[in-house]
Amino acid sequence: MNTKLKPYLLLIPVMTIILGIFTFGLAMGLAQSFGYFPAIGLKDFTLKYYMEILTDKGFLSSLKFSLYISIVSSILAVIIGVALAYSILQSKHKKGIEEIVYKLPIIIPHTVAVLIVYNILAQSGILPRILFHLGLIHDQSQFPSMLFDKSGIGIIITYLWKEIPFIAMVVYTVLSNISNKLSEVALNLGASKRQVFWHVLLPLVMPSIISSFIIIFAFSFGAFEVPYLLGPTAPKTLPVEAYIEYTNPNLANRPYAMVINMILTFFSLVLIWLYQKTFKLISKYSGGYR
Amino acid sequence: MKRKNSLIFKTIMYILIFMLVFPLLVLVIWSFSKSWPWPYLIPKDFGLRGFCYITSATCKSPRILVYSIFLSMIVTIINLLISIPAAKALGVYTFRGKKFFKTLILAPIIVPPVAVAMGIHVSFIKIGLANTFWGVVLVHLVPTIPYGVRILMNVFEIVGDSMEMQARVLGAKPIQIFFYVTLPLIAPGLVSAASMVFIISFSQYFLTFLIGGGKVVTFVIDMFPYIQSGDRMMASIYSLIFIITSFMVLLIMEKSVKAYYKTEAHFYL
Repeated sequence: MNTKLKPYLLLIPVMTIILGIFTFGLAMGLAQSFGYFPAIGLKDFTLKYYMEILTDKGFLSSLKFSLYISIVSSILAVIIGVALAYSILQSKHKKGIEEIVYKLPIIIPHTVAVLIVYNILAQSGILPRILFHLGLIHDQSQFPSMLFDKSGIGIIITYLWKEIPFIAMVVYTVLSNISNKLSEVALNLGASKRQVFWHVLLPLVMPSIISSFIIIFAFSFGAFEVPYLLGPTAPKTLPVEAYIEYTNPNLANRPYAMVINMILTFFSLVLIWLYQKTFKLISKYSGGYR
Repeated sequence: MKRKNSLIFKTIMYILIFMLVFPLLVLVIWSFSKSWPWPYLIPKDFGLRGFCYITSATCKSPRILVYSIFLSMIVTIINLLISIPAAKALGVYTFRGKKFFKTLILAPIIVPPVAVAMGIHVSFIKIGLANTFWGVVLVHLVPTIPYGVRILMNVFEIVGDSMEMQARVLGAKPIQIFFYVTLPLIAPGLVSAASMVFIISFSQYFLTFLIGGGKVVTFVIDMFPYIQSGDRMMASIYSLIFIITSFMVLLIMEKSVKAYYKTEAHFYL
C-alpha cells in the first residue's frame, strides 16, 4: 500500500459519517436559514429571516437566558470540580470507594438528572420536607420555587450535578499523574502547600480545565432536554426555541428554526477557535511541556 | 497544622460526594414507595406497584429495554469499527491536513446536536432513513465518534506502531497482526471507548426522538413522558432500571475484556 495515502484511507469511514451527516446536516440548515428550502417551494436566498430573528426581543432574551445558564453553570462546575479533585487527592493515599462513587452522575443521562433535581428541590421535594421538620418553614409555599422559574436555578443545579463529577474526574486523572514528583520538589524548596497548588499544580492542569470547560459550556448551551423539562415558559433557551419553531405545523416557519440553529452553531465555532487559541497561548507560556 | 488541613479537605470531599449521591438515594426510595405525601420524610407505605407494572405481561418496557441495549450495542460496534482506523491514522502517522481532520472529528462535541439533527431530518425523510432503526443508528454515530476517536487516538499515540512492524518483519499477515498484536495492545482503550460510546448512545433523547419520529422507541424515549408529567414513582423506577442496566453493561464489558486479554482495564477514560 502507498504509505502516503494510508492515513487518508484509514480516515475514509469516519469522514463519511462526519461529512455525510454532520457537515451535510449543518449545510442544509444553513441553506434553509437563508430561505433556500425547495421542499416547500422556497428558492430565493434572502437575509430576511436573520434580520427578523436578530431584531426580535423574544430571541434576544432567549439568547441572554441561554448564555446566562451556560456561563454560570460551567464556571461553578469548574471551581467546585477542581476543589473536589484536589480534596480527594489531599485527603487520602489509597484507593477508596469515593473514587468510584463520585463518578456516578457521569453515567446518568440528563433526563434522569432532571428527575433527581425535581425530587429534591420541588416544593414537595425532600429539601422543603427537611426544612419543614426543622421548623424553618411551615408550609410548602414558603419554599422558594426554584424550578420552572426565570432565574433558571433548577436547570443550573441539574447541570452542576452532572458536570462537577466530569470536571473532577478529568482534573483528578491529570493531578494524580503529576502531583508527586513536582510538588515534592516544590515543597523541598520551601514552598507552602498553597503555593504548590497555585503555582505548580494549577498551571499544569490548566489545559485540561480549559478544554473541559469549553466542552461543558458548549453542551449546556446547545442542549435541549434539561431546559425543555425544567425551564420557564418565557424566556426559553435557544435550542427549545428552535425546536418550537421547527415543530410549527406551518413549514414556512422552518427557516426561523434554522436561523436560531445557525446562531447556536456560530457560537460553537467561536468556541472551537478560542479553544485552539488558548492552547497555543498556554503552550507558549508553559515552555511547551504539553 | 497538617492534620487540620487534611481534615478540611476531607470535609469538603465528603460534603460534595454526599450532595452527588444523596439524590440517588431519594430516587431509590421513591421507586419502592406506595404513597409518600407531604411532609413525610419517609414514605407512608412501601410497595412494588411500579415494579409489578413494569414487569407485567402487558407492559412493553422489558422489550423496549432489550431493544434499546441492542441499538446502542450496534452503534458501539460500528463506532469502534470505523474509529479504530481513524484513531490509528491520527495517532501514529504524520500527514498533511492532520490538524484539520482532528478538529473536524472533534467538532460534534462542541456543535449543538439540535442544529445537526434538524438540518439532516428532511434529507433522512427523503431517502427513507427517518423513523427507522438504521436512521437512528447513523445519527447516534455523530455525537459518539469524537469520543471513540479521541480515546483510541490517545492509546495509539502511546502504543505507536513499532510492535506491528516487528510482527510484519517476522512474517505475520495483516489480519494476524491486527488480531494478535494491535487488538490486545489497544484493548484497555477499546473498553473505555466502548463504554463511553454506549453510554452516550443509550442516554440519547433528542436525536432519537427527532430522527426516530416516535417509531423507534428506546428506553429514554419510553421514560420521558413520566419525567415530564412528574409521575415520580414511575419515573424513579425507570431511572433506577436505566442506571442499573448501564452499570451492568459497563461492568460486563470491562470484566470480559479483562478476562480475555488479562490486561489492566480502567473503568472510564
